[in-house]
Amino acid sequence: MPEQPYEPERAIAGTGMGGAMDLAASEATTLEPAPAGPLGTGPVGKPRSLWSDAWRDLRRNPVFLLCALVIVFLVFVSLWPSAIASGSPLTCDLARSQDGPGPGAPFGYDGQGCNVYTRTVYGARTSVTVGVLATLGVSVLGSVLGGLAGYFGGVWDAILSRITDIFFAIPVVLGGLVLLSVVTSNTVWPVIGFMVLLGWPQISRIARGSVITAKQHDYVQAARALGASDTRILLRHIAPNAVAPVIVVATIALGTYIALEATLSYLGVGLKPPSVSWGIDISAASPYIRNAPHALLWPSGALAVTVLAFIMLGDAVRDALDPKLR
Amino acid sequence: MLLEVRDLHVEFRTRDGVAKAVNGVSYAVDEGETLAVLGESGSGKSVTAQAVMGILDTPPGRITGGQILFEGRDLLRLKEEERRRIRGADMAMIFQDALSALNPVVSVGDQLGEMFVVHRGMSKKDARARAVELMERVRIPGAAQRVRDYPHQFSGGMRQRIMIAMALALEPALVIADEPTTALDVTVQAQVMDLLAELQREYRMGLILITHDLGVVADVADRIAVMYAGRIVESAPVRDLYKAPAHPYTRGLLDSIPRLDQKGQELYAIKGLPPNLMNIPPGCAFHPRCPMAQDVCRTDEPALYAVSPARGSACHFWRECLHGPEQ
Repeated sequence: MPEQPYEPERAIAGTGMGGAMDLAASEATTLEPAPAGPLGTGPVGKPRSLWSDAWRDLRRNPVFLLCALVIVFLVFVSLWPSAIASGSPLTCDLARSQDGPGPGAPFGYDGQGCNVYTRTVYGARTSVTVGVLATLGVSVLGSVLGGLAGYFGGVWDAILSRITDIFFAIPVVLGGLVLLSVVTSNTVWPVIGFMVLLGWPQISRIARGSVITAKQHDYVQAARALGASDTRILLRHIAPNAVAPVIVVATIALGTYIALEATLSYLGVGLKPPSVSWGIDISAASPYIRNAPHALLWPSGALAVTVLAFIMLGDAVRDALDPKLR
Repeated sequence: MLLEVRDLHVEFRTRDGVAKAVNGVSYAVDEGETLAVLGESGSGKSVTAQAVMGILDTPPGRITGGQILFEGRDLLRLKEEERRRIRGADMAMIFQDALSALNPVVSVGDQLGEMFVVHRGMSKKDARARAVELMERVRIPGAAQRVRDYPHQFSGGMRQRIMIAMALALEPALVIADEPTTALDVTVQAQVMDLLAELQREYRMGLILITHDLGVVADVADRIAVMYAGRIVESAPVRDLYKAPAHPYTRGLLDSIPRLDQKGQELYAIKGLPPNLMNIPPGCAFHPRCPMAQDVCRTDEPALYAVSPARGSACHFWRECLHGPEQ
């Protein structure tokens, strides 16, 4: 048992390494008592925690690296689409309708004679914006409501749980058709708002569950026994220990929100032309699948890769955060 | 008196019914005194302590009666905010398993320092310095370097020392230690217990030591309260109790300690199981397991009879028990 502090001088005196002394001595000055826990490895100052362990796992995971690369690229493209695509996605020439690939248009032209490459690149912005903002909204709203319900319990918890049950009963696509068909605004906000409205119960349930689990830990009772307030207990002792499942579900949900945006736009209730969205392009190209399959293929492919990247990233994060899988 | 618990009743409402965990417990601790609360699992010893600390989970728990007087004030009448200020500063608790009682994602220095930040409004930097002092006080080697380490990087004994440091940080008048050595190796148990006893003497605090280990109690405690089915069945100065128990349950506990001079013989065990708290037997709760039980035990609940001015026993036949079994 490491009840004794490590003493560099004595340790070196006993080694008798002769020529290696200089090196050993210079190292020894920086040595500190080794951590003593059952897992005691690594130097002091770099404590192992759930998060550092997870990050170490993720860095070595090829699936994670590939997905992260795709996502970084997507974010870059949605921020600066003009960096890789010239022209406007709204500049179309009917004379080029359904033409194949040509100079400046590696993906060819769609039925309206629009450049498929440019439209696919610009479509990323819509998808990423909707996905990220909807996920943020859902996570914040869901975590706060679910977390408070889980922590305080009682009547509010019961009411919130029944409300989430009601929301779970609403079919997403049908709900979107009904609610969004009355909206006239052609921006991403109604779509994001709809997703937050229907998405928060999912996160709220996860957050509630993990707060209830974290709440039962002895260290929460210990913190209370030592006089910490509810706010302090929630923010400092519960939240860091309960946030992992929320992050995992939110990452996976981000992929599904992107797919949902495309679905709603395809059905004509999400974004509408002249907005640029993969869903709109897929919808416009699907009647001409036999004559101009390229116009359907590229936006569909981009959508599939994007959704897959987020879902697989979420999977990788979940695996890394689950200590039982280590 | 520093702390006086009077006729405390606690029950838990569950789906299956009402579990009466504490049924009229009274005990008192003076400053500088150590009271050991002894009992099996489910005897209500921890629940009583949680009620005193004010960390009972309500619901499902509910305090249905009694008073908890701390420095003359009835804690049960205080507002939650006032009780929160008392917790940690004037009374603190040491938990059984320090690994689970310390937050895994916060460094021990920050957790120790939190006491000073919450109760004294200190800056983080000053609190960190005090944390190092505390760690040195409980003899953690290399405290200045280890203050940034996380709980899992310490050995079990070291973690329990940190737990003790946290509880004693603000020099509370009362400390409740809930089985502080149960989760430790036998070799480390003695060290931790000695440290606790030493600090208690130094700060002259009242200590409630909750345990089911009669061995731990003998060296440290001044008085012992034995609990059974949410009631105190015997309360006595530690010497008197070991010399001659005045309750058959205490006698059973003492007889179940393995002894060197009985090597090779069968170890005594109290027959039967502790009662179901949803269905406590009428009369004396111990009667189904008691070798001395008579008809009166099945119907009449014994009061805590005064065996001597400093001693009480809740047994109709405490005289017979005190002067030896009549088998």
